[in-house]
Amino acid sequence: MSSDPYSAHVRQLFGAPAHAGRLASPLRASIEAQGVRIRLSAEVDNNEVRAMRFEAWGCPHVIAAAEEVCASFEGKPVSGLLGISAADLMQSLSVPVEKTGRILVVEDAVRLLGSVVRDASNPDD
Amino acid sequence: MTEHENIVYLDYAASTPVDAQVLEAMTALMTADGNYANPSSTHRAGRRSVEYIAHAAGQLAGLLNTAADRLIWTSGATESDNLAILGAARFRQAKGRHVISMRTEHKAVTDPISVLEKHGFDVTWLDPEPNGLLDIASLESALRDDTQLVSIMHMNNETGVIQDIEKIAAACHERDVLFHVDAAQSVGKLPIDLAALPVDLMSMTAHKVYGPKGIGALYIADRPGVHVDPLLYGGGQQRGLRPGTLPAQQIIGFGMAAEIAQSRMNDDLKHLVALRDKFWSGIRDIPGVLLNGTIEHGFPGILNVSVDDIEGESLLLALEPLCVATGSACNSKSQAPSYVLRALGKSDELAQSAIRFSFGRPTRAQDIELAVDLYRSAIARLRGMAPEHAA
Repeated sequence: MSSDPYSAHVRQLFGAPAHAGRLASPLRASIEAQGVRIRLSAEVDNNEVRAMRFEAWGCPHVIAAAEEVCASFEGKPVSGLLGISAADLMQSLSVPVEKTGRILVVEDAVRLLGSVVRDASNPDD
Repeated sequence: MTEHENIVYLDYAASTPVDAQVLEAMTALMTADGNYANPSSTHRAGRRSVEYIAHAAGQLAGLLNTAADRLIWTSGATESDNLAILGAARFRQAKGRHVISMRTEHKAVTDPISVLEKHGFDVTWLDPEPNGLLDIASLESALRDDTQLVSIMHMNNETGVIQDIEKIAAACHERDVLFHVDAAQSVGKLPIDLAALPVDLMSMTAHKVYGPKGIGALYIADRPGVHVDPLLYGGGQQRGLRPGTLPAQQIIGFGMAAEIAQSRMNDDLKHLVALRDKFWSGIRDIPGVLLNGTIEHGFPGILNVSVDDIEGESLLLALEPLCVATGSACNSKSQAPSYVLRALGKSDELAQSAIRFSFGRPTRAQDIELAVDLYRSAIARLRGMAPEHAA
C-alpha cells in the first residue's frame, strides 16, 4: 500500500521550478554525490544574492530542495549561504529520512557556493 | 473534474477494471434477491450456490481447455503460487529437495522458494538471457536427480516477456520433475491449452483479466505424482486442499471474466498490438531510450522502457497524470532498482529509470498520444534541468 510520497509543496516546486537554469556568473558550485548531481550559480551585488539558479539530476525532493534554496536566498545576504541547514530543508519539504544523504548534498552545494562567493569577495583573505 | 477523470491509466498489468457484465453477475448473487447462500450448506439455496460455482469453474476450465475439477479456488495468484510451491515441495520432499526457478520471477514465487531454502532445500536460480528469455539448455543443465520442482512464470509482470512453457515442461517431464507456472499475467490474455500443455501446476488470478480482486485459482494436473499438501486446514472444502467458505460471488466473477476473455481474446490482442506499436514508434527515436525485454517474444500489452541519464523517480512524477509503474520498487522507503531488470543485465541507473506502460481494453489511441507527448516532454525537461557530469 502506498501513500503520496510528495507534499503539495514539493509537487509545486518540482512542477514549476522557476530557478532552473544557469547564470553566466563565474560564481558557481558543483557537487556529484549520493546519486545526485547539482550545480548552483549566483549573481552577487553588494554582499547580497541578486539571482541564483540551479541545475540538478536527482529525485523530486532534490529538485524541490534546489528550487527552494534558490528562491529563498535571492535578495538575502550572501552570508546566509554558509549557514544553510539540511534539517530545515528536510522539514520544510517533508523529506523522508531515507533521503537525508541527498539533501545533505544540496546543503553541501549551497555552502560550497557560499565559500566561492566569500573567496571572490575577499580575494586577499 | 473528478480525480478519476484526471488520470490516464496505463497500468493494466497491475490490475484491470471489473467488466460491467462481470459486475452484474456478481452483484446479482450478493443481494437478498440473489443466491448468497453458503455453498457448504446442504439446503436448496446452498445447493444452488454450488451450481453457480460449478458453472464458473466450467467457464474458467473452458478458457484453459481443462476439466473443471482440476481447479482449486484461492484468494489470488499469490496464494496459488504459495500453495503450488510450498504444497508441492512438502508433498514431494521424498523425491528430493532441489528446486529451480528464475531470478526474474514475481515475489509471490521467489519468497516461498526462499522459505524452502531456509528449511534446507537447495535452490538454483537461473539467470535469463539479456532479452529476458530462459535458455532451455541452462535449465536442462541445472536439473538433477533430486530436483523435484521447477517454477517459471509464463509472462513476466515487468517486461511482458513470454517464456516457452511448452519446451520447459517437456524438459521437466523428461526428468520426472514437477513444473509450476505462474500465469497471473497470461491467463485470459494468451491462448493456453492445458489439454496439450504438460504443465503440472498453474497459478492464476481474476483481477488481471477484468475480474474481481480477491479470487484466483490453482490448476493441478490430473497426472500421477502431481499433488500438493494444503497450507490451510479446517472445513474440508475443495477436497481439503484449500478449505474455507467459497466466495461464490468472486468465483462467479472470475468465471464470467474468463468466458469474456475467451470470446474476445483475438480482438484484445489486435487492439493491444496496435496500441503497443503506436506507443513504441512514438518514443523509440528518443536518444538513449531502451526497450527492456523483447517485442518478438513479448506480450503487446506491456512495454517496459528505460532511458539513459534520467532519474527514474523524477521521471515518474513528471509523467503525471499518467498512472504507470516504475521499474524500481520506488517509494519513500526503498529506491532499490528492479531486481528483474538487474537480472537482465541493466545497470542500476537504467533499471531505476524504467517505466512499465501497460495497456488494456479501455485504452484509447488518444491515451497513447498523450503518453507519448508526456514521456517525450518529461525527458526533455529533466535533461534540460540536469548539469553535465563532473569532470
